[in-house]
Amino acid sequence: MPMDKIRAFIEEQCLIEFDDSFPEDSNLFKEGVMDSYGYVHLCRFLEREFGIHFTEAEMTGNVLVSLTQIRDTVAAKLAQGAQQ
Amino acid sequence: MCGLVGLVGTNQPSGALPDIVAAMLNRIGHRGPDGLGAVVGDDWALGAARLAIIDIADGAQPMSDPSGRFWLAYNGEIYNYRELRAELEALGVVFATHCDTEVLLQAWLTWDAACLPRLNGGFAFALYDRREERLVLARDRFGKRPLFLARHGGGLLFASEMKAFLAVPGFAFEQDPAQLASILATWTPLPDQSGFRGIESLPMAAWLEVRRGAVSRHTYAPLGFATDTAPATEAEAQELIHQRLTESVRLRLRSDVEVGVYLSGGIDSAIVARLTTDLSPRPPATFSVTFDDPSLDESAEQNAVAEALGTRHHALRIDGAAIADACPAAVYHSEIPAFRSAFVPMFLLSKLTREAGIKVILSGEGADEAFLGYDLFKETQVRGRWDSFDEATRSQILARLYPHLDHYGPQEVVALTGLYQQFSTERMPGLFSHELRFQNGRFSARLLKPDGDPFGPITALVQAHPELAAMSPVQRAQWLEYKTLLPGYLLSTQGDRPALAHGVENRCPFLDPGVIDAANASNLRFDDGFDEKRLLRRAFADGLPACVVNKRKFPYRAPDVAAFAAARPDYLDLVQSETELAGLPFLDAGFARRLTAKVLSRPAAEISPKENQTFLFLLSIVLLHRFFVRREGVPGQDIARPALRPTHLVDLRSAA
Repeated sequence: MPMDKIRAFIEEQCLIEFDDSFPEDSNLFKEGVMDSYGYVHLCRFLEREFGIHFTEAEMTGNVLVSLTQIRDTVAAKLAQGAQQ
Repeated sequence: MCGLVGLVGTNQPSGALPDIVAAMLNRIGHRGPDGLGAVVGDDWALGAARLAIIDIADGAQPMSDPSGRFWLAYNGEIYNYRELRAELEALGVVFATHCDTEVLLQAWLTWDAACLPRLNGGFAFALYDRREERLVLARDRFGKRPLFLARHGGGLLFASEMKAFLAVPGFAFEQDPAQLASILATWTPLPDQSGFRGIESLPMAAWLEVRRGAVSRHTYAPLGFATDTAPATEAEAQELIHQRLTESVRLRLRSDVEVGVYLSGGIDSAIVARLTTDLSPRPPATFSVTFDDPSLDESAEQNAVAEALGTRHHALRIDGAAIADACPAAVYHSEIPAFRSAFVPMFLLSKLTREAGIKVILSGEGADEAFLGYDLFKETQVRGRWDSFDEATRSQILARLYPHLDHYGPQEVVALTGLYQQFSTERMPGLFSHELRFQNGRFSARLLKPDGDPFGPITALVQAHPELAAMSPVQRAQWLEYKTLLPGYLLSTQGDRPALAHGVENRCPFLDPGVIDAANASNLRFDDGFDEKRLLRRAFADGLPACVVNKRKFPYRAPDVAAFAAARPDYLDLVQSETELAGLPFLDAGFARRLTAKVLSRPAAEISPKENQTFLFLLSIVLLHRFFVRREGVPGQDIARPALRPTHLVDLRSAA
């Protein structure tokens, strides 16, 4: 599953393991595992891996703060792309 | 005069006290290789390791008053001791020496604790009153000189460096996970923290007294930014800054030995070197660290200043291998977990300085806190108003704040915008200015098994200071810098400890009450602070090379994790082996291993600042465990310790 790649990427990038004590809807910024540096890497990874593009508004809003939100956003973008 | 130790109210047998105090002194003999002295009573002892700088012939310590009732062990310098002496003489006090130690002793006997706000200097001292059985411990207002204390054996131990406690029978070091969590989160210890259970650092601007076992705590010279000084124009402000700094350097050149200057390549130490040259009979010796890595190296600016002033310049070239090699010894001396490696070159530089025959140096610490040199102060202003800016203003401000952003693509700007968006309103009460910085700390705190809020102690600290509410956001940011990074790292791990490891005393002309008052009177009154330290640079523009005057703030850094990844010293086993990590049960060993595996195997460009920082924390915590808890060295890493015996011992025991 390509979506598992997002999880693996974040776990590797942020040196975390998603589990009961660190659920997938944790805010990665507030937990202190994500910073501007990691954020740029994450956005590049998603664009490359899924052939999608994020607008500035999407990147600077509160969209990509948790694994759950990232997955939903990517899925929505892929669905949007498939319809076109 | 550079190190003190002691104990009071102890139940150690009085017959053992001379050996105990000698052994404690021996542990900090590097601070004062010119002579160890001690005085011993029935249940108390004081010792001093002396670095002879003023009145070399008569300044032996501990020193008593003529009656023999009061005994003083004192570390540091009181720069205005001649003025205080004149005041005391006018009151009828008669002096036997020309030493500042005697001035401090008489100042206390004359004014008691009211003498403390009068002292301009970096100092820590212990004063024992035999008749009242009263001990006083005090520390300077900025935390320049260290003083640690611990309850033990029914009484109280104290010393300039904690390693003196290694020499006390029955004393055991234990790392304190709650303090470590706070240190990792806020980057440095808080004023009273040491990282070890039961050991307290006496905070800056504090003193305490112990009378027959009862301890009472006091503070003096509270940190504030209000001032009656009001320069009317920018020109007046520059003149004020120039004049106050000149006076501060003049006071700090009071020494019976030659004074040198540490040149970083930045404007602050260049100003100090300029004034030292102007005020000295011949140009001073200057000392600098240079790096092979051009992204860290500032030798062009260092050389420009040295040439312009005609100093006798000494440069020490540092590579990653030198950092990896000296790191364990530097950590042993610093005693506190460190978030970067930049203190290691300072440990090597002091050795070169001492070998060049210099035992006092001036440096630029304190300028960035006083004159708003850090990006943190600008970011605080920007984040506070972020939500009111439109998009065009935001990108304009980011471009001003980060001029190097030109080198990056639009994605970096987007990432920064996203970051500011997340941090435009206060989430941590009283800590708004530092929330971005503390993000890295939140990550580092994951090194420890979760146990309470790592930001609890710093939240409690700001809550205990209601006066912060009346300060501007930038002043609150300054206040936090004066309580955390400055004393907890810059003045200690990167300042006093590495310098005194080789018997070199560092003095900081920017940490002078008059200079700080001039800064408080000028900051943000004639500009918006975005062109950092503009008035300070303008005030000295005529006497220094343009390349230094016009240079933007360039943080002093050294090769961090890359140095260890390349050199692969054997001691890295301490942070890689499961068995070794299991010896520190408060660590999250899984996270520590994942971190270490990543930072030691990936190219440096893939290692983020917070990972770098967290690795240095891990390494220093593990090394400190080795040196202090297990009392073992690091194989192949001998710590040089001069074997000194007290040159004089005053025996006041009743059986003597």
